[in-house]
Amino acid sequence: MVRLTGIQRDVLSLYRSCLRMVREKPMESQANFREYVRDEFREHLSVSKKDFATIEHLLRLGRRKLDTYSQPGVKNIYR
Amino acid sequence: MLSRSALRAASSASRTAIPISARTLASVATSQVAPSTPESKKPRIKKFQVYRWNPDQPEKKPYMQEYELDLNQTGPMVLDALIRMKNEIDPTLTFRRSCREGICGSCAMNIEGTNTLACLCRIDVDTSKPSKIYPLPHTYVVKDLVPDLTQFYKQYKSIKPYLQRKDPPTPMKENLQSVADRKKLDGLYECILCACCSTSCPSYWWNSSEYLGPAVLMQSYRWIADSRDQFKEERKAALDNEMSLYRCHTIMNCSRTCPKGLNPGLAIAKIKKELAFGS
Repeated sequence: MVRLTGIQRDVLSLYRSCLRMVREKPMESQANFREYVRDEFREHLSVSKKDFATIEHLLRLGRRKLDTYSQPGVKNIYR
Repeated sequence: MLSRSALRAASSASRTAIPISARTLASVATSQVAPSTPESKKPRIKKFQVYRWNPDQPEKKPYMQEYELDLNQTGPMVLDALIRMKNEIDPTLTFRRSCREGICGSCAMNIEGTNTLACLCRIDVDTSKPSKIYPLPHTYVVKDLVPDLTQFYKQYKSIKPYLQRKDPPTPMKENLQSVADRKKLDGLYECILCACCSTSCPSYWWNSSEYLGPAVLMQSYRWIADSRDQFKEERKAALDNEMSLYRCHTIMNCSRTCPKGLNPGLAIAKIKKELAFGS
């Protein structure tokens, strides 16, 4: 297992938090949320692991989106 | 009667041809009466270099894009130039603007190295040098010239910028204040929270998470100095720690750059004086 860099750990930690957020949502809409989270992360798979500026920007964006979607009032997400 | 082709030739937007709006027609129609039309003056072409970055393509690094405008057809302020660039050359150029008279604080940006409001900053008519327009320094950029000011607003909220009283309100009676006490607020209440001063302070660049910055500190002094407010000691105690106020080292970039001519450095000095010798 290769040692993970700090920034890789940040990305994984964000993904873990997103998945934990999905588990807090009502049962019927969990599939929608999980699909949304996976799509958001999949979209930027092509970013090079050395492109720190872009990765940090996407991390900030992701955290802000997580703060918004984790609010208890958000019950479902439509694509 | 000027033909459409003549109008197009006279148009000064030098990027790929975009149909001329009715606005240009209106300006030519009125000047037909005057002896000298805009076309007879030589066009003064000014170059503008504008910072561009698109969050939809985050891998593409920020770059400077150059635009050329005829100053004879443009209003005197940088905001007029930016609006013309957006309307006639590049509609994707993004910036905040609202009042166009220097009172809302939306168009704060870094023009030729100085943080000002674009609607109050005159275009330098020297056409030999390009004009450089950047977003406010050391801020996260949402897009092009739009800075992310959420931390700035959070810090402003944290100082509780509203009147706080301990006495219950007396019905049918305002909170009275003498003329001398009201004079103390002059130079403090006019702040439009444009963030020009805070983003010009090197101390705020290096410690923006804990240092409040000159704009927020000036507003906290505005409430400390207000005779109607009764929570003065609590406000002073909130600033009495290592980082919130005392990261100010009187660099005084804030007072130099304030587009409204206010003096945040002086307000911060007054807070320090209050905390040191306060009653």
